[in-house]
Amino acid sequence: MSQVRRRWLLYLLPLPLVPLCLLAGPAAGLSAGKVLAWGLGLLVPHAPDPTLDEPLLRTILWEVRLPRVALTFLVGGALACGGNGLQALFRNPLVCPYILGLSSGAAFGAALAMTTLWLPVQLSAFFFGMVAVGFSYFLARAQHTVSVVSLILSGVVVGGIFTALLTIVQFLTDPFKLQTIVHWTMGNLHNATWEQLRAAAPGILVGVMWLFLWRWRMNVLALGDEETRAVGLNPTRERVLVLIPATLAASAAIAVAGVIGLVGLVVPHMVRMMIGPDNRHTLPASFTFGGAFLLLVDTLSRSLTAFEIPIGVFTTLLGGPFFMYLLKKARVGWEA
Amino acid sequence: MRQRPAVLLLALLGGLLPPSSAQAQAVRATDFRGREIALAQPAQRIVCLIESALSGLYMLGAQDRVVGVSTSAYEESVLPYYAAMDPRLRDRLLPTPGNWDFVNLESLVSLKPDLVVIWSHQEESIRAIEARGIPVFGVFVGRFADIHQELRALGALTGTGARAEELLRGADQILEGIRRKTSGLPPERRARVYFMWAQGELETSGRPSTVQELIHLAGAENVAAGIDQEHLVVNLENVLLWNPGVIVMWHNPRRDPAQVLALSAWQSVAAVRQRRVYEFPEVFTCDLWTLKYLFAAKLVASWCYPELFDPTGLEKAQRDLLATLYGN
Repeated sequence: MSQVRRRWLLYLLPLPLVPLCLLAGPAAGLSAGKVLAWGLGLLVPHAPDPTLDEPLLRTILWEVRLPRVALTFLVGGALACGGNGLQALFRNPLVCPYILGLSSGAAFGAALAMTTLWLPVQLSAFFFGMVAVGFSYFLARAQHTVSVVSLILSGVVVGGIFTALLTIVQFLTDPFKLQTIVHWTMGNLHNATWEQLRAAAPGILVGVMWLFLWRWRMNVLALGDEETRAVGLNPTRERVLVLIPATLAASAAIAVAGVIGLVGLVVPHMVRMMIGPDNRHTLPASFTFGGAFLLLVDTLSRSLTAFEIPIGVFTTLLGGPFFMYLLKKARVGWEA
Repeated sequence: MRQRPAVLLLALLGGLLPPSSAQAQAVRATDFRGREIALAQPAQRIVCLIESALSGLYMLGAQDRVVGVSTSAYEESVLPYYAAMDPRLRDRLLPTPGNWDFVNLESLVSLKPDLVVIWSHQEESIRAIEARGIPVFGVFVGRFADIHQELRALGALTGTGARAEELLRGADQILEGIRRKTSGLPPERRARVYFMWAQGELETSGRPSTVQELIHLAGAENVAAGIDQEHLVVNLENVLLWNPGVIVMWHNPRRDPAQVLALSAWQSVAAVRQRRVYEFPEVFTCDLWTLKYLFAAKLVASWCYPELFDPTGLEKAQRDLLATLYGN
């Protein structure tokens, strides 16, 4: 088997998880076996199961599980790709999509919308997430150049400012809205609908496709500024051209799903350990593995109990120990 | 020195006389922490940092003794009602030394309160207030019985016990009236209700909650009663499987019943198919942490059983209840 084919097989390896996750859910009386039997029955003629409420099953699969599974996969893929892009940009494996204040800005935007009631939550989260990253960038810009260190520092400062603003909003709001804000900041996909998918998909897909097209240049950027100049590229311009799609994809994801931690940090590492540090290959793999990772975690979070557990709790509880294991087991970084 | 015998005589007489009026009015009550609060006289300067308890003080007729309120009392959802009852709130003259979350100790102490009403979970603030010698009444509302207990205790501490008992007797009569109509309903006729909080369509309340009590009081069943959580986010799949016959929405500025009826994923739900989605009016009129829960219970009962409760009389019932609770 050629290397290219093997690589494509690896990219597509997590995809069978998508239909499998459609089988799982919290609905008692709709076991995975029943759903599977019904699905197979669509392909092969069969005697109908009299205990199965078929219209309800169709509604649950089509209106509840499918948009959620699709949205979760896209969000996971977007966060992982964003993390991959920014790790290449900053030449730092500890970077995640939230490094430039994106999560703080988005959380402030969402909280503001929840408190004031006249702002749409998703739009506000997306807008303030982008504003935070924009501030970080322009704060770091001096004499037409942007150094990596000043960008990270300005990201820390802007993130801190938006966190303070978020605290003010939380401080002034009532306990019920506060509960919702906290829930949002822990990540939630329970409101997934086709409308949300339609709202988030363009930003995510444009961002991811852009990064995919730019994956060659990300390799050059990862070598350093001098090397980038040596091949005739302007490092500052290239950084912006990676920063924009990474932020766009991650912002669109956060706007619909809240702040979900660790995906953008852990998944690119996992991928690099499997196929090496070449961004041409890690980027598509990050998308499918990121999507699959979040899908797996969300399936757990929605199936274990009758009530929803915020997905951010699970990504941290599962991703954290796994990342620690990776750290102990192998050297995590560009050399992996 | 020559006056000493006269002073002694007066003192002796004083000992024989009945106690002074202040001593006679010494009051005491136990708060929700189990602490006994004893005051030499009914509270005269009250700082009330809980909006629902403030409502209770207004029902008791003790509003003139309130010298500080929670920031929540100035929120748009309740202010017009308070403003109509109290010109100090209308003109924003009553100070706000705190709320459910924080307390500005300096502001609070400067108001020289002789009683502070605060949530019992605000332990650090309570310690700081009590350390300054100010009596604190800690409140916790987890069930409707707690509202009755709170009102009775505040009545005792403000010397308005008779008014508290009058209000509670009235409440018992209303509750009895609802129970009389619904108690005979066979299980298969009992409405199955899904309660929707304003924070989102999937936010509801499970068994240990005032919502559960409210629905039960209205003679119906809470579809989420099997979940042992006060406030939770449920999975839509479960709502579809529960298939509630009635959806009751908490007052929601972002959504109205028509929008819920239009949600595509909810079309298989019986309540949506039969267009039985209802929304509570303004929060002030059916606050579940005050005696106004009686009106909320009436509303739910009339939505669930329009044949038993005349829905056309609800506006009058609301006006009558508010007049009974707060006066005209």
